[in-house]
Amino acid sequence: MNRMWKIFVKGLVAENPLLMLMIGLCSSVAVTSSVSNGIGMGLAMTFVIVFAEFVISLFRKLIPSDARIPIFIIVIAAFTTMVDLSMQAYFPALSKSMGVFIPLIVVNCIIMGRVEAFASKEKPLDAVVDALGMGLGYTWVLIGIATLRELLGNGSLMGARIMPESFQPILFFTLPPGGFMVFALFISLNLWLKRKMAANAVVAKEAA
Amino acid sequence: MKKDILRLGIALALFAAGACAALAVVYTVTEPTIAGLEREQLKASLQDLFPDADSFDAIEGGLESSVPGVTVTGAWKAGRGDATLGVAIKASASSYGGDAVMLVGVSTDRRIAGARVMTLSDTPGLGANAVNPAYFVDKTAKKTFPGQFAGKLINDAFEVKNDVVAISASTITSKALTSIVKEAGLVGSAWLEGNASGGTR
Repeated sequence: MNRMWKIFVKGLVAENPLLMLMIGLCSSVAVTSSVSNGIGMGLAMTFVIVFAEFVISLFRKLIPSDARIPIFIIVIAAFTTMVDLSMQAYFPALSKSMGVFIPLIVVNCIIMGRVEAFASKEKPLDAVVDALGMGLGYTWVLIGIATLRELLGNGSLMGARIMPESFQPILFFTLPPGGFMVFALFISLNLWLKRKMAANAVVAKEAA
Repeated sequence: MKKDILRLGIALALFAAGACAALAVVYTVTEPTIAGLEREQLKASLQDLFPDADSFDAIEGGLESSVPGVTVTGAWKAGRGDATLGVAIKASASSYGGDAVMLVGVSTDRRIAGARVMTLSDTPGLGANAVNPAYFVDKTAKKTFPGQFAGKLINDAFEVKNDVVAISASTITSKALTSIVKEAGLVGSAWLEGNASGGTR
């Protein structure tokens, strides 16, 4: 159980895909201009990574290593298309606002990276736990960045206006340059969190 | 070596076949819902443009855009009983973030009945304000960017920053959308002149 927890929790801070591994950055800067987009993209990507890691881990002994990359892409692309179709059918508003980003999940390097580095070597259950950790690690960062950007850049949260009328939205934060700046803020926040957690672990060890 | 290639090919083919089968299932399940949603959305938009109309008949052919860059992709005749109230034109043009699609209503009195943006991918906070129902280009009259076209004569100039108010800092989007409305107005009224029965001019 403890081992599972370790696999899960590393995706949140210590090996956060966006802030530590620094992969899958392009789509995250693009979608985080509003919170609802961030949530949608995060959940869609978590869904795809969980199923892709599970299926690939399940078949890992049957996948010839010379042909593994195309097979990974087939599996990931299939799940992405399923997400795309289901969103169009059951969440049309969300699907409209995220439009071009959903197909981009196929080339999201986080999924490719985790499938190659983890799922193709480990047991299915471990792979699912790893995928959940990575997916949620991705999602919380997207929501965090999107909250700051939407609040400052548009004066609203989830589309509802929060800031007082006198607040003039700072458009800079909605545009890509502002996105990069907020991203950098989150990277430093994550490094601080990681150091704090490591220090706590040392203290706990000494006390024991 | 030859055997190896065969083995890899077969493995790849098997995985691809599995993925295809799974996709086919999902497609079959979601396809009716997606098509239904699209029809409903179109119906609602048409009704929105012509609130008095009780029938919308698709017009096949005969409507062509005469300016390069604007494409007419569909047209519907709005009717009430035997009378023709106007025609709705669905047209697209290249805008800032890809193709923009609009639905433009043209009434029989040679005016734009209304305009709606159907598809637009643009910068949030800038061009995307064209579809934001709370963004007013005319703050006192509470008119949105597409909303300002309602009631405009189709022979007007349709010049951004002249008789059309632009979305601030989004000239490309404003111009693209305006060119769609203008061309749809001309195409629509030309069709009405040739085909409308029972309408008033």
